Amino acid sequence: MAILDIHQVSLSFGGLKALQNVNLKIEKGSTHALIGPNGAGKSTLLNVLTGMLKPDDGSVMFDGKPLLNVNSFDINQLGIAKVFQTPAIFPEMTVLQNVTIPVFAARDGSFNLNMFEGRSRQRPLIEFAEQQICELGLENHMHSLAGSLSRGDKRRLEMAICLANKPRLLLLDEPTAGMARHETEKTIELLKSMNDGITKVIVEHDMNVVFSLAEKISVLAQGQIIAEGSPDEIKGHPKVIEAYLGEAQV
Amino acid sequence: MITQQNFWQHNKAVLMFALVALTMPLWFPLIGGYSGLDTKIMIFCIFVVGFDILLGFTGYLSFGHAAFFGISAYTTGIMLKNFSDNIIPAIIVAVAAATLVALIIGLLTLKRTGIYFSILTLAFAEMFDSMAMSMLQKWTGGENGLTGMPTPMLFDLKMQGDTVFYFCALMAILLYYLAKRIERSPVGLMMKAIKCNQTRLEYTGINARKYKLLAFVLSAMYAAVAGSLMVVYEPFVGHEFLGWHQSGEIVIMSVIGGVGTLVGPMLGAGFMLYFENVLSVSLGEQWLLVLGVIFMVVVIFMPGGFMEAVARLKKRFFTTIDGE
Repeated sequence: MAILDIHQVSLSFGGLKALQNVNLKIEKGSTHALIGPNGAGKSTLLNVLTGMLKPDDGSVMFDGKPLLNVNSFDINQLGIAKVFQTPAIFPEMTVLQNVTIPVFAARDGSFNLNMFEGRSRQRPLIEFAEQQICELGLENHMHSLAGSLSRGDKRRLEMAICLANKPRLLLLDEPTAGMARHETEKTIELLKSMNDGITKVIVEHDMNVVFSLAEKISVLAQGQIIAEGSPDEIKGHPKVIEAYLGEAQV
Repeated sequence: MITQQNFWQHNKAVLMFALVALTMPLWFPLIGGYSGLDTKIMIFCIFVVGFDILLGFTGYLSFGHAAFFGISAYTTGIMLKNFSDNIIPAIIVAVAAATLVALIIGLLTLKRTGIYFSILTLAFAEMFDSMAMSMLQKWTGGENGLTGMPTPMLFDLKMQGDTVFYFCALMAILLYYLAKRIERSPVGLMMKAIKCNQTRLEYTGINARKYKLLAFVLSAMYAAVAGSLMVVYEPFVGHEFLGWHQSGEIVIMSVIGGVGTLVGPMLGAGFMLYFENVLSVSLGEQWLLVLGVIFMVVVIFMPGGFMEAVARLKKRFFTTIDGE
């Protein structure tokens, strides 16, 4: 069953057609990679899914609910979380505070007037946040400022933030960009180990990451899906080779 | 036992502030403060603590909070003059009026961030200032200010001298305590997250706009309580209550004291008012210049204000003791 159904989505910036009649179905529980040369529309598509960009045409359904014209925070409350290309965290807060935010967001919804409730009195919630932090291997940084972490740890913290309000769909925009080899390996392992039924959509340039994680791959070029299939099918696909080599020649 | 310990830890700052505030009539004259100035300091403590909920938590710098201070002061004056000399209904109506205005201004100004937000709030405050001087003159007294209020009463109690001081001090303690509670609540966490990374917050399922509006309205309510108490303290309202100078002074108090620490801005308010009213006498006409230099030194060398200095001193002394 498809958890996410993108149907005939088009979006232009001025004269540039960033997305053209994109159709994409993401299976529940699968890991789906989106690849393609620079400027193909991968990030644009993710931004449509998170409510940041409004497409000119088409529809997006998430678990039977329409996603267009819905606020970013409501989309997150529905169960879609996004990991950004550069780790998006709360740098002036401690690691624990960073992860406490989604935990309260999961309990209270997008807005709640509980102005006089002591956070520290909510032991089960704080413990859940601590557990999330430990699961991502940041237990030694529990009370460090998030901004002082290394890049890899910041990425891990961002994952902890995203996972703490139990999403059903996780969007990852180049999760290993700018990472050293061993950090990339660690991230791959982290994503592999996360097997509690979360559907993952990964935009990635690093083919090593794509082929070791994805069950299905869609290839975008110039705003269109030009190929779709299993990793083995994509590897030898003539259109894919053309799209990538075409870019290399320019 | 644990809860008792928690109570002490959570409320240490509030209890210390209460101690300093309530004993003020005893020690303040010793350093040259006169009676009445202590009341004004308490009132401005309320103003800046509220302002810190907006500036310190969410990072939104308003240059128009005099609007809520002034609107509330005028409303209080008009209520005392025309309705009843009891301050309780006057304060309630004044705060309600300012809250309503804050809700509208907040909805409009919070669409923008940074300098645009600051300028918009300033423009709104100036608008109210000029309205008080023109079309609302009949009510506000225009250039002459609003005068002729009876002696304010707290039911049967005449609000004069020390009674006013203790009333304002108790209000300041209560409102500081509530601000601390807000800081420790989930709401406080969301407000502080706005300052850190608003995009991440929205992508974490939080409606940042509503929390910003809440912070804005809360800070306006604090400003309104302060404005109302100003009239109880001194039965006069001038249009300078609404002016940009008033808004600016609050910003300077906050920055000098330490934005985002709640107690810092109160220190800043105490320092500024003491400086303006007591030290200025011995410094003569140059006092504004000296204040300017102090402000610059603080901003350049201690961007965290007085509270940064306190934190540095603490660190120095405690590291030598603990050997860390």
